Formats: sequence, structure tokens, C-alpha cells
Amino acid sequence: MDWKEYFLAALIVNIFQMALAFVIFAFQGVLPLNPQGFPGLSWDLAFMQVISFGTNTNLQHYNGEGNCVQLPNCAALTPGVPGLSYLSQMMAVQFLQFTSAATGICAAVAMIRGFVAHSKDLGNFYVDFTRSLTRILFPLCFVASLVFVGLGVPQTLTGYQVFFTVESAATRATQTILVGPVASLVSIMQLGTNGGGYYGANSAYPFQNPNPASDIFQIFLMLLIPTTLCFVFGQLIGKKRETRPILWGAYALFALDLLIAFTPNFPVVGPGMEVRFGGFFSVFWTVVTTAVTTGSVNASLSGLNPFVILSAFNGMLIQATPGGKGVGVMYMVMFIILTVFIVGLMSGRTPEYLGLKITARDVKLVMIAFLVHPVIVLVPTVLAYSTGATSAIGVGPNSIGFTKIFYEFTSAAANNGSDFLGASANTPFFNISTAIVMFLGRFAPIGLLLSLGGSMINRKRLTTEAGVRTDSPLFALILVGSILVLALLTFFPFLALGPILEFFQGRMNGF
Amino acid sequence: MSTRFIKMMSVRRTTLVSRKVLIDSLVRLSPLRLTANPVMLIVEITFLIVMAMALDPEAFPRLASSSLQIFYLEVALILLITVWFSTLSDSLAESQAKNTANSLRRLEMEVSSKKILIEAGSRRIALTPSRELRTGDLILLEKNDTVPIDAQVLEGIAMVDESLLTGESTAVRKAPGDDVIGGSQVLSDTLTAKVTVNPDETFINQMIRMVESSKRPKTPNEQAVTIVLIGLTAIFTILIGALLGVSLVLSLAADLSVLIALYVCLLPTTIGALLPSIGLSGISRLYKEKIVAKSGRAVETAGDTDVILLDKTGTITVGNRQAVEFLPFSGFDERDVGEAAFLASWHDDTPEGRSLIRLAYEDGFVPKEMNALDASEVYEFSASTRTSGVKLAGGTGFMLPKSGGTGRERGRLRRKFEPHVEGGVPIGSDETEIIKGAPDAIKKIVKSIPADYDKTVQEISAAGDTAMALSRNREAIGIVRLRDVLKPDIREKIMAVKVMGIRPVMITGDQPLTAKSIAAEVGIDEYKPEAKPEDKYDIVKREQAEMRIVAMIGDGTNDAPALAMADVGLAMNSGTQAAKEAANMVDLESNPAKIIEVVMLGKQLLMTRGAVTTFSIANDVAKYFAIMPVLFASTVPELKALNVLGLGLNTAVLSALIFNAIIIPLLIPLAMRGVTFKPSGTMTLFLKNTMIYGFGGVIVPFVGIKLIDVAISLL
Amino acid sequence: MLNLKREFRQIYGPAVRLAVISVVLCGLVFPLVITGIAQVFLPSQANGSLVQLHGRNVGSSLIAQNFSLPIFFHPRNDSASGVDPDITVQDARSQIPRISSATSISSDMLKQIVNQNEEGTFWIFGNPYVNVLRINLALIQTNSSAYRAFQ
Repeated sequence: MDWKEYFLAALIVNIFQMALAFVIFAFQGVLPLNPQGFPGLSWDLAFMQVISFGTNTNLQHYNGEGNCVQLPNCAALTPGVPGLSYLSQMMAVQFLQFTSAATGICAAVAMIRGFVAHSKDLGNFYVDFTRSLTRILFPLCFVASLVFVGLGVPQTLTGYQVFFTVESAATRATQTILVGPVASLVSIMQLGTNGGGYYGANSAYPFQNPNPASDIFQIFLMLLIPTTLCFVFGQLIGKKRETRPILWGAYALFALDLLIAFTPNFPVVGPGMEVRFGGFFSVFWTVVTTAVTTGSVNASLSGLNPFVILSAFNGMLIQATPGGKGVGVMYMVMFIILTVFIVGLMSGRTPEYLGLKITARDVKLVMIAFLVHPVIVLVPTVLAYSTGATSAIGVGPNSIGFTKIFYEFTSAAANNGSDFLGASANTPFFNISTAIVMFLGRFAPIGLLLSLGGSMINRKRLTTEAGVRTDSPLFALILVGSILVLALLTFFPFLALGPILEFFQGRMNGF
Repeated sequence: MSTRFIKMMSVRRTTLVSRKVLIDSLVRLSPLRLTANPVMLIVEITFLIVMAMALDPEAFPRLASSSLQIFYLEVALILLITVWFSTLSDSLAESQAKNTANSLRRLEMEVSSKKILIEAGSRRIALTPSRELRTGDLILLEKNDTVPIDAQVLEGIAMVDESLLTGESTAVRKAPGDDVIGGSQVLSDTLTAKVTVNPDETFINQMIRMVESSKRPKTPNEQAVTIVLIGLTAIFTILIGALLGVSLVLSLAADLSVLIALYVCLLPTTIGALLPSIGLSGISRLYKEKIVAKSGRAVETAGDTDVILLDKTGTITVGNRQAVEFLPFSGFDERDVGEAAFLASWHDDTPEGRSLIRLAYEDGFVPKEMNALDASEVYEFSASTRTSGVKLAGGTGFMLPKSGGTGRERGRLRRKFEPHVEGGVPIGSDETEIIKGAPDAIKKIVKSIPADYDKTVQEISAAGDTAMALSRNREAIGIVRLRDVLKPDIREKIMAVKVMGIRPVMITGDQPLTAKSIAAEVGIDEYKPEAKPEDKYDIVKREQAEMRIVAMIGDGTNDAPALAMADVGLAMNSGTQAAKEAANMVDLESNPAKIIEVVMLGKQLLMTRGAVTTFSIANDVAKYFAIMPVLFASTVPELKALNVLGLGLNTAVLSALIFNAIIIPLLIPLAMRGVTFKPSGTMTLFLKNTMIYGFGGVIVPFVGIKLIDVAISLL
Repeated sequence: MLNLKREFRQIYGPAVRLAVISVVLCGLVFPLVITGIAQVFLPSQANGSLVQLHGRNVGSSLIAQNFSLPIFFHPRNDSASGVDPDITVQDARSQIPRISSATSISSDMLKQIVNQNEEGTFWIFGNPYVNVLRINLALIQTNSSAYRAFQ
């Protein structure tokens, strides 16, 4: 397949898959495996959620358990509060988590194939997709799911359990235990850097993340495929040393994220954090989940220091630290081409990467791919305020409110999925606007970068000795520098009005 | 070396900003003229907006305040000046180009030529304006005529003055087959020549066209830089648009003029303003080296060269070899060899022949047969025998004239010598025949070969020198050691080329041992000995197949295919028309060593563009972080901590805008002159440029803005 | 018409087939297989780590249960999930005086129980914590007199 065929195949398959999931969301009320009797989702929420899961974003404007989480003794459902049936969790959420992860891997591998010497095309999407599922995701998730069950994550199809509590002799109180097919979902949601949790509280909810061991295992799963793909790059193009700029660049930025997050103070357990993870793992998780654009959370974002949020923004705005599985590598290659171009410009040499001359068209593609991001983040952020959509859900025009809205669209554009708003953003404006942003944030860069990869096929390769050595630590350093300058130039004012202002305000008024 | 040509090429500083240029730059302020420069068009639009704010602040509710009218006026004025500086730079570059074109056109000045018309078998001369001549026309060139157009000599031999073009003041002898260039002058005798180009195809004309055309096609590198500029402009447009929106929705009360000023400061105005003049100046600098390029592209390609083919002769060594030692065979002494060399070389006008006479003379080996030379019979050098020589017929008593007269007089008695014809020309008893030539050629004609013949020759070759054998009356008498003389600082030049990652390949007709020794001496690892002209073509083809960019020089017709194929082909002006047409550059001075300068110039051009781009972008980054915090500090008091420079908002905005404007004229000299650089590897150059233009570009605005700010607040 | 049909068969056909196959595999087969294996080999965890008191399910050790009586350790209610089952050891110790005065169990005894139920020291990064449901069950089981009503 050439890049157009490959991209179209991926797009069409993804759209059909999202359509199937839409049907399940919308009609879950009449479909089986719905012991709680959740009604079907509204059309705008269903639309937004299939795009959210289908684009690997996993922004959730609902709580999987409805509103039971707010009531420890939830016995009955409150009408009008959306929740998901077991069938929806499995055949819509989990399904799209598998397929979007597989699509990401396919896209990366296809683009890399363009850079491989003597390759004739980008491969066959159907073959790549099937292999990604059957050879990578199913086996790994099989093991991971059973490990999670062993650590205490439920995996059952029986409905929520209701018991009289220990105190019931005195209080007659009951408690609902929200079980379900959780472990199988958690495995793919972390391994596929999806991040959409079974519960509204995501991996802060004890059933999704019962103890420090499961916490560390989830962090491991999140980092596994994005990191592996850095090596796949060098392996596929037959120059293992070329893994270095991608890997080093990604982890240098990751280290920087950690530095920002831990700069204000070493975190201790505070409100919004789970005791079993403590401050360190809550902050570390937040950095990882945004660095690989997973978006799962194990603490409430509102409870974190503004600098942790700043670090999260950093991960989402760069998307290559090491980024989501597949797209992270693609973005890093994009940044490498930009950097090679800048270095070439400054040293008086026409730039080349892997012996391929970088043409004006390549730079154009890369530029557009880079520019998509600020547009789809900033325009809807302003629109959300100017249309009154923010005041409708009680978000004010102050630094805290701005951080939330800016974060919502940054997360949507980066296909991350973590957010401040959660189910409160279940309004037509936020559902539709984030759906558009997620779709563009996913498929525009993939299309552009596949086109970039496709144009490398049959391009003559220089065997020059005078070019830029991309496998040196020096180059990695320059790469990190140019990525940071670009990201800062584009987003600094908005970070200043959001988390940075929050930080200074907090320092003045006390947190 | 100050010649008319150079004078014409350089623009006198005093007339740099003439009234014409000023008026032109003002005319260019029209928005319609600015469409070619989108960055500046945007700046002009912002000027109009701020001007409107100054005139009627009420029309901009929430964005402007009527108490700031004066400030708006100041901002608008600086914005206009920014655009004007840019149009001024354009006007300057173009006026300079026009001057160059005009001076070049003077070389092509309209002369009436003597066109030869052949009608009914008889010749007739028609006075025809040179612009009406066409390829194939025959022209007559007489003493004191100016050659109207490039042509090839068909009949006659004449001395021609090409100093107008090359700056070399010596007259050049032109014989049938040679090319004469339009603009040169006939000093003696008469020539019949065939026009080889149409008037608008001459390379001077090509050069004029390129210099003059304002819609010069963008080179790949220029295209790439343009994309970066558009990309940056897009980023900042999105940024400022969003910031305006956020400021409105969050009620931050940021003033529109401040946002506009910030926007203009961020736009890559510096490089946007200077890009056109950088491109033109590269070509001008090439002209200063007296090289004519047919396109700007070729110059930039030169900067990307991977492999450079160097002709040994003329590039690495100073033309021909010099005799340094006479080595007699047993039975003869040094004097025998020296005197024989003197006689054999008397009629040989090549530098090599002259060096033989000089060495013999310096060693005191002036032969007594000298006075017989004038009546001698000359065996001219022939490529097939690779020998030349002289036959002296007895007579003595004539005194030799001090100089040998013209070649023509000396060659009176020339006739072909054919030693391979058995017996050859019989030698009379009172005759002496002396032949010099390649050792293996002499070996064939001598009666017996001395025992140490081969050993001596081999030793000389191994030392990198060349052996020339001498025979007297078909008897080998000795060997002359000829040594290649390296050009001054060629070793350093080769080293510089290698440091930049470019591979030099030496092409020479020498045999392998000699070639190896010379290559080693100048530090070249790759060489092609015993090269035939086709070899150049093969090497170019081979290197290009591996996607390397090849630069080479050439002069003969044999070189034309290779010149046409090479990415950078530099033809010698003294070379054939075919070679000049095939090449994409012509060196008017015919100095093959210039190919290295061309590569360095190409590098310099690319690097200048890169340096100014880097500086401009670094400036933007610095202005960004100088102004943005001030803006925030003024609208959100909690962010005061970010205002590191401690600037006031309005003075900071004015300072940044003023800095933004004046940096453009300040950088014009750098753009015109080009950056200086020390040859080194890509990464080293990058780091150096990052240090100077990157970090420098970040620091300069901070210092500059603070200084201007202090100056403004003092006023 | 014919073209449309062919186009569908060539482009959309495989896409639809792949979508249907993948929804069955990823959305049904995979979770059901995991559920089956989990129910057979790890039934306790798979069903929510339920905790029994005298043979009766009273909750899950992983989900906080609301304790309001002064004689019990109380969970936090400001945490991210809202059902954080654990409290820090300091938090537990700070509740000792209240429980002690309500149940007349000695502070030393309570401290000992807290120490016994401490878990989660994870190298330097973890901070020790106490599971509220488990410690309350321990209280009931070790002090039958004070918790007679809950036997």
C-alpha cells in the first residue's frame, strides 16, 4: 500500500469500529450484560466517547459506575447520570482500546518502513493490524490481565454486590461493591496507552489499582510499548544506532518532566491522593501518564501542585517523551527532521537524515503536522469561554478555571485523556468540540507523517560523510533543545496564565 | 590587480543610498508591492490597525484607551519604519544588482561588427550591429576592433587583449580553433571568426539576466528558509490571536497595540527583510572572484559538495614542471646533458622548455653551437611520439639574437619529425640532432640503452618527480629531473576541504608513482593517475551514482560531458566553447584552483543565510521572553516575578519595536559581506554558529532593549 | 452502480470484515476468556476481594467502608477515588485516643493493633498505611467485649 491507501484503510477500519461501538453505547439499555440497567448514552456523549476511545484519547465525560462512587452505600441508580454496562465496557471501551492501540503501532511501523532502504511500500494495513493484535497486544494483555486479577483487580460478570456493612448492626447501612470485568480492561488501557478507566476515578479507584505493586506494574505497562518502539525504529531501518536520538531525546525530556514535577517540594500524601500510593507515586504516575499520553490517573489532578500540572502539560504538548505508542516515535522523527533541518541551515549544508535529503516538501509536511496542535488546542479553549460553555459548567475565568479548560483541550489534542472536568463536561459543547479536536489531533498528524514516510520510498540515499551525525549525544541534546524552544514559544503565554499563575497565586495566598 | 572590471563590479559606497534608491524604497511601501514579502505585508497591516487606534481609540472598545493616543502614534511610526527598512534593503540590493548589470552591459556594448557575407562566391563585408549577429555568422576582426560577440577563430593568428574580462594584462595569442570573447580587443593582425552564440546567450548576458531579474527563481535552500519563515509566522499568528482571545475572555485588559507590537517583535522580520539581499550578494561575491555563474543555484550546490575533482596541473601544481637536475649516463658529464637540454629547448616555448634553458644557463652550460640555432631545423612536439628536438646544421659564427623573436619566426623551418619511420631524417656528418622526450619514447629511438637507464628513471618517479631523457645523435646521454612545483598554500586548502568533509580526488596524466608521491605530499588520499579526459566523466558518474555531489573543473572539449554532468562544473575561460557551455560557471581568469574557492563561497553563502536566520530567530525568542513577562506583569500582578528586566510596559514595547527595526539596517553589511568561517566539520560549524548567532542573538536583544529602554526613559 | 459495488467489495469489504472480527475478538472473546480463567483460578480476587465476618460478606478489603461510630477507625473522605480503603499510620494513631475513650481499650493495645496492621512500606518511596476495614475487623475479633453488638 502506498501512504494514501494505508492511511485510508486505517481510517476506514477505525471509522467502522467506532460506528460499531457507537451502536453499543447508544443501545446498551436494551442489550445484554447490563445487570445495573444503565440506559443508553445520549447521542452526543456516545459520539464523543467513540471518538475518544477510537483515537486512543480516552477522555471520559462520564463515570463508568454512574454516580455510585459518590455514595459509598449506593444501592440504586440516579436517573440521568450516565454509566456503562458490562457489554459497553467490553465491546465498546475495551474493544476500541485494543484497536486504537493496534492502529497506532501500525501507523508507526508504516511510517518507519518509508525510511527503510529499498522498501517498496508502507506495507499492508490489514496484515499489520491483525499482527499487532494477535502477536503483541493479545499475548501481553493475557498475561497482564491475570497478573492484575492476582493483585486484586476484579474480573467478573456478576452485578454490583450489596452488603450490610460492619456497622449495620447499629446503622442498618449497606454498601455496594462495584465489581465487573475490570482486569481485562485495565491491561489494554495501560499497555495501549489508552488511559480510559473502568471507573470514574480511574486508577485511583482501588479495584483498578489495588496496591503499590499494581501501581508499579501499570507504570511499567504504560512505558513498555512506546519505549520498545524506539528500538523498533533502529531495528527496522537496519541502523540500531539511530534508535539513540529517539530514545535519548524522549527520556531526556521525560527526566525534565520529572524535574519540573518534583521541583516545588517532595510530595507527601495530600487531599486528592490515595494513601497506598503516597505522594511520590502519585506525582510519578502523573508524569508518566502524560509523557506517554496514556491519561490514566491515580490521583485527582486538582490535588496536585501546579508544577506537576505544568510537567503534565509539557508531556502532552510535546507528545514524544516517549509519547503514545506509535505516534510518539512518529512525532520524534518529525522533531528530528526539524532539528536536522535547523542544524543544516546553521552549518551551511543541505540537511539530510539517514542519508535522505530533506526537501522543502518534507519541511512543509512537518511544519503543518506541528502547527495542527496549537490550533486545535487554542481555538476551542478561547471558544469555550466566549460561547459561555465554561460558565455553564461552573468554570470561572481565573487561573484555576483556565488551567482546567486549557488542559481539557490539550489532553484531547494530544490524545492523552486525563482531565479535570470529567463527567461535568458532559455537555453538547464539550462533547462535540473535544470530539473534533481528538479526531484531528489523531488523524491529521498520522496522515501527514505517513505521507512523509511514503515520500521517502525510492528516494536516493546519500553515502556522505559530511552530514549531521544523528546518533551522537550532542545531537540528542540539540534535539531536546529545539523541541523545548518550539513548545515553549508556542504555549508559554497560556502556561503562564494557567499553572504558572496558579503557582504564583498559591505562593502568595498559600495553597 | 585593480582593473576596470573590478571597478565596475564594486559599487561606490558614496552613492549607496541615492535619492533614486530612497524614492524606490518609498514606492515599495505600497501594499501591492509587498505581496512578495508576506512578513512585511503583515507588519504594514498592523501599522494600519495601530494608526486607526491612534486616530479613533473609541472604535476599539476593551482593546484601546484614549489616554494612550500618543503611544499608539509612536508604535505606528516604528512599525512603518520597520517596513521601510526592509524595502530599503530590497531597493539597495536591487540597485546594486542594476549597477552590476549596467557595468556588465558595457562589456556587451553595441559595436558594429564586420559581418562577412558570401554572395555568389565572393566575399563582402557588411557593417552589422552586434546584436543582430547569429550563431554561425562569419565576422572579420581587424587590428583595434572590439570583438562583438563570442566567436571561434577560423583563420589567422592575432594578439588579443582580454584584460577587460580577466584582468590579466598580457595579450593572448589567438590561432585557428581558439575562442575569442565578446568585449575583448584585437591588438594586432587580422582574424576571421565564426560566431558561436546568439547575442542573448552569451554568458555575460546570462549573468546580466540573472542579476537583473527581480523574480529570480528561489533556490532550494531559499525555499526551505521561506518555509521556516512561514511556519514561524503561522505559529506566532495563532499564538497572538489566541492570546487576544484569552485576554478578552479572561478580562485581562491587554492593550491591542501591545499585542500587535509583541506580534511584530516575534515575526521573523530580520531574516524576512534580508533574505533577498543575501541571495544576490552571494552571486556578487562570486563575480568579485571573476567567476560567472549561470544560476544562483549552482553557487549553493557548490556549498554542498561531497567530492571535488582537482586537476593536478594548475590546481595543485603551478602549471608545468621545472627542471631541477641533470643526470648524465656513464660516458657523459653534466655539461653534455645541460648543453643538449639547452639546444633541444631553444625552440620550445612551454614553461617546461624555458625551465630547462634557465637551469642550463644558471649552471653555466651554454653550448657553443648556440649560434647555429637560428638556422636549425626544429622537430616540433608531437603527441604521438612524445618527443621534440632540434637538428643543427654545422654552421658557426652567427650570434644569437637576445630574444628568440616571435614563435612564428623561430618556427620558420619547422617540419614534422617522424622517428618511427625507419631511419628517420638522415643525419649528415656536420649535423647534430638532439631529441628530448619521455624516457620510454627516447628508448625507442636510441641505438643502445645504457645499463642504468631504467633504474634512474624509476628512482626519479618514486620521488614524485618526472624524468625526461635526452639523446644526441641517437645516443642516450642523460636524464633531466623535472619537478612539480606545488602552488603556495595548496596543502592548507586541501586540508580545509578535507576538514569540511569534502573528499578531494586528484586527476593527473602522470604515471602512478609520480601521482602517488604528489598526492601524498599535499595530503590527498585518492588520485587517478594516467588519466584520460573520459576518466573524469567516469568518476563523476560513479560518485553521483552513490548520491554524492561532485564539483570539477574542465577546459577541453573532452571535458564537456563531465562538466555537464557534474553538479558544479567550473569551465576555464581559456577553454573551448563546448566546455563553457556545458559548465554552470566560468572562471574568467582561467585559474583551475578557483574550484576550491567556489566551494568555500557556496558554503559561505549557505552559512550566511543560516547565520542571519539563526540570529533572527534567536532575536525573536529573546524578544518573546523580554516582552511577554512584562505584558503579564502589567495585566496579572501575581506574575511580576517573571519581569526579570524590570521594564515598564509601554517603554518596553517601544524599545523592543525600535530594536526590531534598527537591527535590520545593522545587519545589511553582514548579509552583503557574508559571514567568515573557519573550515571545520558540520557539527563544529553548527556549534560555533549556535554560540555566535544563536546565543549572541538571544543576548543582544536583552541588552539592546534594556539600553533603549533606559534611553527612552531619560528623554 | 457496478463501480460502487466493486469499490465496496475492494475497499470497504475488508474494512467491515476486520471491524466485525475485531469487535468479537477484542470485545467478547478476550474478556470472557480472562473472566473464565480468573473465576477458576483466582476466584477471591476476581470477585472483589470480599471480606467476611462470621461467614457473612461485610465488604471488600479494597473499598473503603463508611465507619461513623467513634469506636471504629474512620476512613478518609477527601481522597481521589472517594473510597480509599487506607489511612496513614499517623492518621490511625491520631484516632487512638477517641477509640480508647469510647471502648476503654488501652492506648498501648490499640497502638499494637495499628502496628500489626501496618502495610505497604515500599523502599524509600512508600509510606506505611493501615487498611481501615481490616483493622476494624481485627478490633472486633480481638476485643469481643467492647464490640459485643457486632459479633
